Amino acid sequence: MRVEFLGIPRERAGVADLELEAETLGQLFATLAARFPSLEDVIATDRLRASFVANINGDRFVSDPRTTLHDDDCVLILSADAGG
Amino acid sequence: MAPAPPGYHGCYLRIDVSDGRVERVPLPETVLRQFLGGSGLGAWLLLEEEGADRDALDPAAPLAFVFSPLVGSPLTTSAKFAVVSKSPLTDRFNDSLAGSGFAVAGKRCGCDAIVIVGRATSLSTLVIDDDRIRIDAADDLRGATCRAAEATLKARLGPGYQVASIGPAGEHAVRYATISHDGRHAGRGGSGAVLGSKNLKAIAVRGTMRCEWAQPGALTEYSKALSKRSFGPATAKYRELGTAANLLTFNRLGVLPTRNFQSGTFEAAVDISPGAISETYSRTRASCVACTIGCEHIYARENEQGVRLEYESLFALGPLCGVSDPDIVLRAAGLCDDLGVDTISTGGTIAFAMECVERGWLNAPWLQFGSGDAMMRAIEMIGRREGLGDLLAEGSRRAAHTIGHHSIAFAPQVKGLEIPGYEPRALQTMALGFAVGARGADHNRSGAYEVDFSDKVDRKHVTLDAVHHAIDTEDKAALMDSLILCKFLRGVFEDFYAEAADMLRLVTGWDATADELRDTARRIVHAKRQFNLLAGWTPDEDTLPDRFLETPLSGDPEATLSREQLGSLVTEYHRQRGW
Repeated sequence: MRVEFLGIPRERAGVADLELEAETLGQLFATLAARFPSLEDVIATDRLRASFVANINGDRFVSDPRTTLHDDDCVLILSADAGG
Repeated sequence: MAPAPPGYHGCYLRIDVSDGRVERVPLPETVLRQFLGGSGLGAWLLLEEEGADRDALDPAAPLAFVFSPLVGSPLTTSAKFAVVSKSPLTDRFNDSLAGSGFAVAGKRCGCDAIVIVGRATSLSTLVIDDDRIRIDAADDLRGATCRAAEATLKARLGPGYQVASIGPAGEHAVRYATISHDGRHAGRGGSGAVLGSKNLKAIAVRGTMRCEWAQPGALTEYSKALSKRSFGPATAKYRELGTAANLLTFNRLGVLPTRNFQSGTFEAAVDISPGAISETYSRTRASCVACTIGCEHIYARENEQGVRLEYESLFALGPLCGVSDPDIVLRAAGLCDDLGVDTISTGGTIAFAMECVERGWLNAPWLQFGSGDAMMRAIEMIGRREGLGDLLAEGSRRAAHTIGHHSIAFAPQVKGLEIPGYEPRALQTMALGFAVGARGADHNRSGAYEVDFSDKVDRKHVTLDAVHHAIDTEDKAALMDSLILCKFLRGVFEDFYAEAADMLRLVTGWDATADELRDTARRIVHAKRQFNLLAGWTPDEDTLPDRFLETPLSGDPEATLSREQLGSLVTEYHRQRGW
């Protein structure tokens, strides 16, 4: 599946997007955390830290690490705080 | 006068600029504890001054600059003030907040608020130097930009003064004119027009009267710890990227209002993103006094004046008007700052006019979506009420009534206040927040978009379960605006009400609790509503324009919000509020 970083997560990851394989949201975060140590203040093991949120396909916001992912999903990782 | 609690002076200055009469009016401790400061105390003052009964631009209408118990303390982001009055744009309650040094200097004049009534005989500056108050002629500043007026007055008056001023738009009673201080603006709702209606170009304050703190040692330690936390991930976006970073995120999510809310995506968003702008402009950061976040990102070219760029200015002067030239967007934001007009209402009103031109209902063929030059021309005309600018200076609601053709259906406003950069059909908790807002459509008085950007709701199919979440964000905002703390700090707190009670205890000595402050927040929301009721509010005002209730968002058929759906959300909101 595709992962897109926006805002601070993009700054930390150093890339805008990438392809990954994962069956659940928790697996996806764990894989990202292992691949990008610079995401330490974004990802806590298998979930996002409080200041960040994940969205699937631009529609549904999700946080449960057990959330099932599909190969054609696009997971967005962005700052939770959208004010301004 | 009874001794004031720590953190307060226990009085407000009431100044009639018609004759220079000054009163120092006591503020009972019970009132201070019930309404705190900022927006809350401002609401109480307006009710006390019977401000709802008068036209917003009537000289007798009160205009209040309100400080707070935290102003002057070492707590990060606390150097803010609220400007409170009836809005000439909405004819309803209006509170607009700004930082920074003006708040500290104003409070050191020995008052918790400054209430201005009357009208000076000629264009003037109100000068408050501790307890010495005078009205200086300011005819030479007529037509001066906000920035020029402030610089001139600071040079003229000498060291230590902080100045809040209006630009040409305030002098010309543009209904969304701002009051500017140090490049920041009390922006929404037209407080600049109210100051202009009193024939005041500016207010200058300088003072030496400090409040004591109930527990100064503990307050200092708490403040240090809070500052340290403020450097964490909860504020990283503001600090490192600025709010303009929202642009690409919102575009990706299809909630970036484009061409007068006809679409939720802008094909040229990347071209005006902060990253793209940074390729040709240098970027520096700035912050308010006593702020450790430093959210301001200022873009400049060599030898040119820098421009602060926020998401709301970027959206309103970019996608909303279909403008994709980053140079134009920056110049437009700078021009709005100089003239002293709210960027959201300016962009919203121009975008509305562009659509009217497109439909053949407004004879201004030069005013086309995507034309940066036309947008710049329109802003200039608005700021001085020249030609078409005289109509657009009235805001989109009044302009729609003049243009006719039922164009009110797509005038992007609620209660007359232009809608910020959040597409309500795809952010439906925010749609409720916009609809019920006391000052109209606003993202600073309702943070309901946070709910939409979470797994608490399905943002395109929001149900009644969302209502209490929307109320929570509105209550929290009311408390933050009254303490006063910057909302960009909100993510730092795990339990905001408990920590707010801690802060208030350290400052005032009150045995405040989280539950008490929840009640306080609700009381403040209710006071704003009370003002609106007295000003003629009816339930029909708590809605959105027909466009949002009759037309799905282009390209996203799921983003549909029916009149019945919004109506049920609003009804449930009123029920939960006990209204």
